[in-house]
Amino acid sequence: MKLELGYIYIKDIQFAEESKVENGTLYVNKEKVKELVLEDEHFKSVEVDLAKPGESTRIMPVKDVIEPRVKVEGPGGIFPGMVSKVETVGSGKTHVLKGAAVVTTGKIVAFQEGIIDMTGPGSEYTPFSKLNNLVLICEPVDGLKQHDHERALRFAGYKVAVYLGELARTLVPDQVEVFETPTVKEGLKLYPELPRVAYVLMLQSQGLMHDTYVYGVDAKQTLTTMLYPTEIMDGAIVSGNCVSACDKNTTYHHINNPVVHDLFSEHGKTINFVGVIITNENVYLADKERSSNWSAKLAEFLGLDGVIISQEGFGNPDTDLIMNCKKIEAKGIKTVIITDEYAGRDGSSQSLADADASANAVVTGGNANQVINLPALEKVIGYTSVADIIAGGFSGSLHEDGSITAELQVITGATNEMGFNKLSAR
Amino acid sequence: MIITNNDWVYEKYKNYDSHQVIFIEGSYKDVLVKTRDKIHEGYELLTHPLSSSLKPNETPFKSIIISEIKDKLNVDSLIIIENSIMSWEKFNNNKLKLNFTQQIIEDFKLVDLTVLEGALNNK
Repeated sequence: MKLELGYIYIKDIQFAEESKVENGTLYVNKEKVKELVLEDEHFKSVEVDLAKPGESTRIMPVKDVIEPRVKVEGPGGIFPGMVSKVETVGSGKTHVLKGAAVVTTGKIVAFQEGIIDMTGPGSEYTPFSKLNNLVLICEPVDGLKQHDHERALRFAGYKVAVYLGELARTLVPDQVEVFETPTVKEGLKLYPELPRVAYVLMLQSQGLMHDTYVYGVDAKQTLTTMLYPTEIMDGAIVSGNCVSACDKNTTYHHINNPVVHDLFSEHGKTINFVGVIITNENVYLADKERSSNWSAKLAEFLGLDGVIISQEGFGNPDTDLIMNCKKIEAKGIKTVIITDEYAGRDGSSQSLADADASANAVVTGGNANQVINLPALEKVIGYTSVADIIAGGFSGSLHEDGSITAELQVITGATNEMGFNKLSAR
Repeated sequence: MIITNNDWVYEKYKNYDSHQVIFIEGSYKDVLVKTRDKIHEGYELLTHPLSSSLKPNETPFKSIIISEIKDKLNVDSLIIIENSIMSWEKFNNNKLKLNFTQQIIEDFKLVDLTVLEGALNNK
């Protein structure tokens, strides 16, 4: 399967009479975006705002971040099974508004978390401070149940991202990257000497605000299976996970999965990137056993030499991670796991809730318990009332001057377990 | 058998034939400790105690499913519950300053309930 990604670089975002992309600026008709969101009767009103890199702006609480893309050639549409039909994606051509994002905010539940600071120390910990963000602040109708609110907000994000992505359809990309995965048979012929490596992508799947969807299917209901890596680039996997801001994978993370990109850059050179195995993280222990049994079974079936495994979340997913690792290693297949840590504020506690001797190659996304001080910023989008933030059981201390002392946990994407971030320790 | 300190879970499942519900008037840790006691008696752990991404020093509510009948001690169950208690202790070394309004309490109960429902609906 072969996909051409065409990047249109976005360096600025502004409101205008007409939505379009011109000279690297994304112009957005605010009224049109509001109309789109309000097509869903679950919302009584919506505000749309902008947050640009370097601005003294804090967005909170963030639910999801989505990148605008459009399918220009080839079967299917972006976010299959969600806002497009279920046709298999990942081939042909897709255009990307690179440098732009749609951010959804919403008080689905009263406890607050999920901060994006566009400047200051907090901005170093989230990739979204570097993007030109269109922020949706959607007010639900009175008495709307949390399930319905979460679902409505999730779809609002995709709809607006697809609307913006459409603006890229006829543009000439600034840069094109081609990604191609051969079939198993072709791959064996093309790269007989290269180690066969796959990516085991673990998906959060526990319930309300802890879900992931694959072609529209709730990952809780899935058996471990396979995808072509390029399917992910067309939004085959989307996030309904909005608890634990630091290590939940936003839809943006999924569609830009860095493990997929890094494996592709080595594909045909040092490795044969065979494909992606997706598996879930259900709470029921027998489901964990079944899913990890199947990861190991597929890995062996594909004749793999090694896998990279990334997890999503903390606590019970650590058990899935270790099960996947142990069982794949037991097949004689080498593993590297990517995770974040909850090692306590001094970094000296055990990082994961589970462990095994075979998990001896680990890449860390950072310690989520690390304390950070975020200065007061001029503008807060999403939750403007300080009193509400304090009452909102904020997972940190909000000081009178508007500054915040909190663990990295509260920053969206801070300790991402796909290894999305650039901060490292030497 | 459901062990829970969440009255919403108790109310929903107390009359089900398929599950006993043990309601704990106590904390998240008390639920973990009761579960450990049951595991020592020979009950098997069916759901992972650290369900949901809400941290043990954030949410006060926890529901765990164990087997209805007991057998020999299940060592895997024991290891998981002990690791979970260690996790609880690690997080609770740093008590977060949370201001619980009624709405927040209800939201925590809801997340705990829906995650449990998600586990049970698959069965």
